[in-house]
Amino acid sequence: MADAADLQAKLKALSDAYAAQLPEKLGQLMPAWDQLPQSGWDEEGFQTFYRMVHSLSGSGKTFGFAALSETARNLEDYLKPLGDAKNALNEGQRGQVKRMLGELRLASSRRDIAAFAQPQPQPVAVSPYSSIANVACRVFIVEDDPALAEELEVQLHYFGYEVLVFHKPGDFRDAMQQNPAGVALMDVNFSEDAMGGINVMAELQRGRDMPLPVIFLSAHNDLEVRLGAVRAGGIAYLGKPVNIGALVDELDKLTSSQPRAAYRVLIVDDEVELALYYAAALEKAGMLVEVVNDPLKVMKPLLEFAPDLILIDMYMPGCNGMELAGAIRQINAFVSVPIVFLSAETDPDKQISVLGSGADDFLTKPIKTRQLVASITSRIQRSLILRSFMVRDSLTGLLNHTAIKEQLSHEVARARRQGKPLAFAMVDIDHFKNVNDTYGHPAGDRVIKSLSRLLKQRLRENDMVGRYGGEEFAAVLVDADGPAAMRVMDAIRNDFAQLRHLAEDREFSASFSCGIADISNYGVASKLVDAADKALYKAKHAGRNQVVLADEKFA
Amino acid sequence: MPEKLTLMLYVEDEPDIQAAARLALESLGGFTVEICCPDEEAMARAPGFQPQLILPDAMMPGMDGPATLKKLRGLSQFADTPAVFMTAKVQPGEAAGCKEPGAPDVIAKPFDPMMLAGQAEAIWERSHG
Repeated sequence: MADAADLQAKLKALSDAYAAQLPEKLGQLMPAWDQLPQSGWDEEGFQTFYRMVHSLSGSGKTFGFAALSETARNLEDYLKPLGDAKNALNEGQRGQVKRMLGELRLASSRRDIAAFAQPQPQPVAVSPYSSIANVACRVFIVEDDPALAEELEVQLHYFGYEVLVFHKPGDFRDAMQQNPAGVALMDVNFSEDAMGGINVMAELQRGRDMPLPVIFLSAHNDLEVRLGAVRAGGIAYLGKPVNIGALVDELDKLTSSQPRAAYRVLIVDDEVELALYYAAALEKAGMLVEVVNDPLKVMKPLLEFAPDLILIDMYMPGCNGMELAGAIRQINAFVSVPIVFLSAETDPDKQISVLGSGADDFLTKPIKTRQLVASITSRIQRSLILRSFMVRDSLTGLLNHTAIKEQLSHEVARARRQGKPLAFAMVDIDHFKNVNDTYGHPAGDRVIKSLSRLLKQRLRENDMVGRYGGEEFAAVLVDADGPAAMRVMDAIRNDFAQLRHLAEDREFSASFSCGIADISNYGVASKLVDAADKALYKAKHAGRNQVVLADEKFA
Repeated sequence: MPEKLTLMLYVEDEPDIQAAARLALESLGGFTVEICCPDEEAMARAPGFQPQLILPDAMMPGMDGPATLKKLRGLSQFADTPAVFMTAKVQPGEAAGCKEPGAPDVIAKPFDPMMLAGQAEAIWERSHG
């Protein structure tokens, strides 16, 4: 039998795995409900939805989500008579279920931490798409126009935001007593008070150390109202009719507080103790560090670890630092990675000649750890900014064609070494020329931006997304096999098709086709690209707005 | 001295619940547990395993718990094996429907992993007391 601490840790790990899958499970509920027909009765669709709710009610508490179980149970009780009656669902019933789904999402953020008294870090097997929707991305819409509120709710939902709607500022104020995290989207003008939204926010912000993030919506553009909004903590002020693109831009800025990936530093130094000392200092500053003591063994870690900066000792047995820097610079992928020398060499002439070998900077041993960290951080930051100009597409901020292909090669090599799955997806917006011709190029650009944003939001941090060409995108999905990639890309396809784009006063929607190939069938990057391209062609040929997985095997 | 409970068959389709049940019954309870999905797999695996107690989930896609149990009962070695449904339906009327002959009681879902082994044992002792 396991001891108590071990069991607690395992339970915690299970709970973590469950928590990680929750956003995906919850994300499937709203579309499943929305798919039910306006008229008539879809028994299968209803039962599917019912089972999803039932499964949450029957599992949440086991994993420390008692509130989730209870809320799902309430929803299940509400659904039971509807399922028995098998009548077309009326508007009241639809609305009630949507409200309860909102409550369910709120309940999903309440976890009974006390249930796992001794939390211990445990490797957790999480679903590969656990981070599709970020739980922290919650938006509270406070808007008395029900049609606008619903429109915003639906659109933001497609961008991966959790949305809770309040029609009265007072209800919102009451709900905020429990301090749920999220961004408020606040209408300024309410029927009972023309400045109602601003007044409620001002009241809520009083006495707070950390103001509630709020974006105001208003049809008024006068300075007095705008000042009131700023004083009430308004981070942005958007005019009505609401431009969803601008709104999502603002929300993305507020919610993308995810720290960037840690800087990666490779230290090449034959003095074991010293190398470890510097490594410890850099790690303490939050960097990922790998140490190589034998310069002749640098190639493997160089390619696999892919450092943002290389720190080299000048004098080592086997080869000296200058020779090593020269050899590294001859590898295309490392032409722009900063190389910094660390040495006790104090002769300025020698130092200068070193810089000629391809190094970027020279730090003298002994060095204070603070200076080492500051100097390396600044080098990496600048190099990453420069690199982003070279590798990013200016319209979307995604990787450009060259960069995504380069990343694909790296990731294919890595996946094959580690024996892990990987999928490559090619995406092409359907009938894009028509969009440009009918609604104009600015509208076309907005469609491209909204798809790029959707892809970035819905794929995981480790996945890579690039703009492959005009209206063509490519994504590298690490640790995902073909069927997993299919599921995630198809969900994105479905949501993209529901997005409505604005051009002047006209609304339109767009769709995309997608081809996917998986490295279990195509082991080389170029074949993977070919296969995904052919699958994309198949998807187009079969009527567009669909995802096709390349299935033929290469010998 | 009644026979001690050591072998169980747990029929459940959700992998995360399967994992929690395994932890609760094996690591905490010290039982030997065979866990399987409903229908074909359960049927295929069950004859090689002679549990003392069957725990079927009462509502699963494909085949529900009562239907799974009925099929198991068709196999001679399970004709008399006691079964306890795991069910999220805990309203008195609903739960009654899950207590068929041979199913002495129900265990409410969501179960508490720290309590599950104790619940199964208590039911076992009641039915063998």
